[in-house]
Amino acid sequence: MNKRNLFIGAGAVVVIGLLTVISATRWSDARAGAHPQASAASAEMIARGAYLARVGDCAACHSVQGQPPYSGGLRMETPIGAIYTSNITPDRQHGIGNYTLADFDRALRYGVANGHTLYPAMPYSAYSSTTPEDVAALYAYFTREVRPAAVPRRENEIPFPLSMRWPLTIWRLAFAPEPRAFQLKTDDAMLRRGAYIVEGLGHCGDCHTPRGPALQVRALGAAGGPAYLSGAMIDGWHAPSLRNGDSTTIGAWSEADIAQFLRTGTNRHGIAFASMNEVIANSTQFLSAEDAAAAAHFLKSLTDPTSGKGAYAYDPAVSQSLRNGDASARGAQLYLDNCAACHRPDGKGYEGVFPALAGNPVVTAAPPDSVIRIILEGMTTARTAGTPAQFSMPSFARRLSDQEVADVATFVRDSWGNRGAPVAATDVKRRATAREEAKP
Amino acid sequence: MKPVDAVIIGYGWTGAIMAKELTDAGLSVLVLERGPERDTATDFDYPRIADELKYAVRGDLWQPLAGETVTVRHKPGEIAVPYRQYGSFILGTGTGGAGAHWNGQQWRASPNDLRIRSVYEERYGKKFIPDDMTIQDYGISFEELEPYFDHFEKVTGVAGTAGGNPYEGKRSNPFPQQPLAPILSSQLFAEAARELGYQPFAVPAANSTAAYTNPYGVRMGPCNLCGFCEGFGCFLYSKAAPQTTIIPILKGRNNLKVLHNAYVTRILLDGSGKLATGVRYIDANGKQVDQPAAMVVLASFQLNNVRMLLLSGIGKPYDPVTGKGVVGKNYAYQMVSSTTAFFDESVNMNPFMGAGAAGQQAIDDYNADHFDHSKHGFVGGAMIFAGATGGRPIVQMPLPPDAPRWGSGWKSAVRKHYAHTSSVATMGSVMSYRDRYLDLDPTYRDAHGVPLLRMTFDWHPNEYKMTAFTSARAAEIVTAMKPQRMSQRILKPGDSYDVRVYQSTHNTGGAIIGTNPSNSVLNRYSQCWDVPNVFVFGASSFPQNIGYNPTGLVAALTYFAAAKIRSTYLKTGGALVHA
Amino acid sequence: MTESHPLKRRDFLRGAAGVALASGMAAAGGAAPEAKAYVPAYFTPAEWAFINAAVDRLIPDDGNGPGGVAAGVPVFLDKQMQLPYGYGAYWYMQGPFHPEAPPTLGYQLRQTPRELYRAGIALIDRAAAHAHGKPFAQLDAAQRDALLTQADGGHLQEDGTMAAAFFALLLRNTREGFFADPIYGGNKQMAAWKMVGFPGARADFTDFIDQQGRKYPYGPVSIDGSRG
Repeated sequence: MNKRNLFIGAGAVVVIGLLTVISATRWSDARAGAHPQASAASAEMIARGAYLARVGDCAACHSVQGQPPYSGGLRMETPIGAIYTSNITPDRQHGIGNYTLADFDRALRYGVANGHTLYPAMPYSAYSSTTPEDVAALYAYFTREVRPAAVPRRENEIPFPLSMRWPLTIWRLAFAPEPRAFQLKTDDAMLRRGAYIVEGLGHCGDCHTPRGPALQVRALGAAGGPAYLSGAMIDGWHAPSLRNGDSTTIGAWSEADIAQFLRTGTNRHGIAFASMNEVIANSTQFLSAEDAAAAAHFLKSLTDPTSGKGAYAYDPAVSQSLRNGDASARGAQLYLDNCAACHRPDGKGYEGVFPALAGNPVVTAAPPDSVIRIILEGMTTARTAGTPAQFSMPSFARRLSDQEVADVATFVRDSWGNRGAPVAATDVKRRATAREEAKP
Repeated sequence: MKPVDAVIIGYGWTGAIMAKELTDAGLSVLVLERGPERDTATDFDYPRIADELKYAVRGDLWQPLAGETVTVRHKPGEIAVPYRQYGSFILGTGTGGAGAHWNGQQWRASPNDLRIRSVYEERYGKKFIPDDMTIQDYGISFEELEPYFDHFEKVTGVAGTAGGNPYEGKRSNPFPQQPLAPILSSQLFAEAARELGYQPFAVPAANSTAAYTNPYGVRMGPCNLCGFCEGFGCFLYSKAAPQTTIIPILKGRNNLKVLHNAYVTRILLDGSGKLATGVRYIDANGKQVDQPAAMVVLASFQLNNVRMLLLSGIGKPYDPVTGKGVVGKNYAYQMVSSTTAFFDESVNMNPFMGAGAAGQQAIDDYNADHFDHSKHGFVGGAMIFAGATGGRPIVQMPLPPDAPRWGSGWKSAVRKHYAHTSSVATMGSVMSYRDRYLDLDPTYRDAHGVPLLRMTFDWHPNEYKMTAFTSARAAEIVTAMKPQRMSQRILKPGDSYDVRVYQSTHNTGGAIIGTNPSNSVLNRYSQCWDVPNVFVFGASSFPQNIGYNPTGLVAALTYFAAAKIRSTYLKTGGALVHA
Repeated sequence: MTESHPLKRRDFLRGAAGVALASGMAAAGGAAPEAKAYVPAYFTPAEWAFINAAVDRLIPDDGNGPGGVAAGVPVFLDKQMQLPYGYGAYWYMQGPFHPEAPPTLGYQLRQTPRELYRAGIALIDRAAAHAHGKPFAQLDAAQRDALLTQADGGHLQEDGTMAAAFFALLLRNTREGFFADPIYGGNKQMAAWKMVGFPGARADFTDFIDQQGRKYPYGPVSIDGSRG
């Protein structure tokens, strides 16, 4: 579940009081002029809206398995209680059937609906750069194509007085940008398109950009500085840097590699797992080839100033040792006993079935959490139209002790040319404990 | 229950193929599978799958005999008793059926296999075939089936050498993958065979050599000779199985529904008995359900197919005394021998490296009608092949015949021979006879109270001669491998069919294809002569057994029929062949 | 007639008892771990004695690789009796039963493995008592082997068919226990696998496909990750 902590200390209360009157003023700001004009929806418009809903991955939050599409009800935990996503089908009573285009736009880009500010779990910070035409297309799709579902809105489980929403307005004013026309000064149309998708509806930075003490993303776009897409922890996994750097990032990936990854979840370098599996299954597999290429193009344009270790080069020494029967390195025997059957003694895996560990940024990422966690929990690949077969890695939590997990993780991070720091058993224990706590 | 266009009984190889073909054609399809849902990640995961005791001895992926089995007797008139423990053959259940845990040797029939009676009568005279041998031609030519052999090879990613087998029928395409290099025992075999003038070739293996994507877009991983292949599901997605080749593409299809733990007990007929109205099954909750359908596809494996027809009253049961009736007729099996070479300690076989088929080598000189039979006095022949499938110590521990079975002598023999032994096998054809057939047992029932299938079968001199001849050839090859010593296990006249000893799961016949209703249950499109909206797929169609593993031919016949069903039957209905 | 009970009796040689006690304590020092580690859940003490004695003859501790008892085969057998296998869950067990059917038609007795062990052990123990006046477990090696050979060949006077069926099952299960993965209680420390050079649940020989004939360099690994 998404967790949020909207308060950063008692000091915030003072600020809250002072600004209350301000929020009342900003609250009613309609600025109607900025909203897209309503117009008759065309079939083409609706189709584009359907495509954009996929790019923005609305279903990930507003659709719940077993319930009608977009009827809401996904539970998201916060430290002050749980909230539920809204029914955004065109049902008049329980959904947005009575929404005007302006109402829809206000929710999507401004984060205001029904007269109050929405919880930031709804990623309106990223959606703020959506063009009016795209907003209208989304509106057309949701009000014309999506079937109405009379599913009542679930009441949030936040007790009074914490349930008062006015502090949210302060957060929004401080950290959510004024909706603005998307601007990127470049003649490269592909670059511009890619930025529009990644910074906007794709809201990739919500996961791949680190956050500040108020849980705000540190950069909302490339213009926000090198923090943007520089890698972050999300839901207990490490979402690696997407900037163009060295072997600890996707610097070694070509634009075609990145595009293939987004559309199928796999390329010669690795296979998506964890939260990214859901993004691919629900969203990026549906990117058009052009849009996927544009997104890739944009990502390659983001240089990583911290990189400097040089390009990855495969080192066959470890593989040769294993072939020769030498498994004396720390974790090597464990790797043979547990991992080599699938990921192969040479670390190259089998493209499209078992990911390569050699030269894989996830493997060498600075926080080793993802490596540790996938060893403990296992994982199954995403199913896409292009890759109908799903492949699984089993859990080794029962088979390997914390020390053994640390040893084998250390081995894969330091073999075949990988240059990742060693992993300690305490790192594993922390991750394992959190996992235990997560059990229902 | 809401009617469906087609019900498919069984979700093994033929059931998966038909589910794909019929849903591609837009039909609403319901698959009823008696076993549980099984997939690689949940049921064949590593390291749990690397368990010889659980999967190769107890057979946890196989059909539990406690709930259903067959009864066996050697001769008509004898009392049949239940096949209480696994031995001679193994039955599949659950998603993938036997295809989930087969070996993966994927052969095409030899062209003459399909017209065996004609060929033998032309070549050796009518008298050559004994009176009580009931073999017959299929009525379908190799050329008609070739495109479907080819397609199935692509679906399963077969690794082989085009032209490697000089007796193979003409192929339109090479194998989709190159074979894996032979393992040591195969290398020694191939060298010896070449020395003796044979042309050894890589056994066509549905064990992928590399990462491979099949025509349906399903990706497979490469085989690394893990040694836990036949009897096991493949954790590496390397072995072709319905769940690693076809079923992923079927998931999520709106016009396909699959019910597991759904045990079909009979096909329902209308008042005339000429039209199927649906099937009756017991669902996962133990309820009896009648499912209406316009078309019934019987894809439950050869033995179960015949039982289903008998239980449903489709066709006339075969009477071995009068020769009348066809359902249950022409049951056939496989005759296997092994010749073992024992080397000294300098030869490290590493027998645990192996796959169901990958890395194996074979010669086909004495199979089918590839050689002159006139002086040998038998019909048929055998493929001769070598290679290890895993060297698992509980079951795969070949010892010299004079080694003690227990005690210190057994230990010494085990220690001495385990890693230094190689086997050459003959996979021999079995012809059909009047006194071999399948019917319903009058006494025994399954866990649901439904009568079991009864098998009446014993060997005939034809098989003893065939295996003696081909095993002698195998012995020559093994001798040329220069072992320290060798031994043979061959069935000889007087040895009754022994259910305790594994031969193969290549059971065939009982619902055979033919040219008219008096000699067969099915027409060339696997359609029931008596009930035209029932199609039956599996080795039950074989009028007699071939000297190869059956699945390639089973699939080709299925795809061949599916093409006709899609192009003609779905438009017109009714009989596709008029008798 | 009055019965004679050949229990340990009239052990009035206290010196001998002392000697035995001392040697017993010494023996307990070595045997205690096993004796205390596993208490059979299915086999009675007398049956357990039989099982250990028989396994010791089927796979003797002869200095040439592990013995069946040290490898934990009796533990394996007792555990199997507690699993579905022991209850006959893998066998078709509906009647009627025809023990007189030809052997080539397979096992036709009505006993589940648990029942067959119980009846078979009692059968052989009675034969041992008849021939030697004591239970099988108290016979010497040659006597045990002779009885096992008789049972194997179906020549036990009381019921040859059952004796042969029991022996076949015992031998089969003993081999299973010897070579199965250690998670089942036998093949302790993978001793049997090491004896023959089987690498266990490794299942990956990628590097060695092109090194045919070279002895595989790594020792065995178990399903639970233990290394031998």
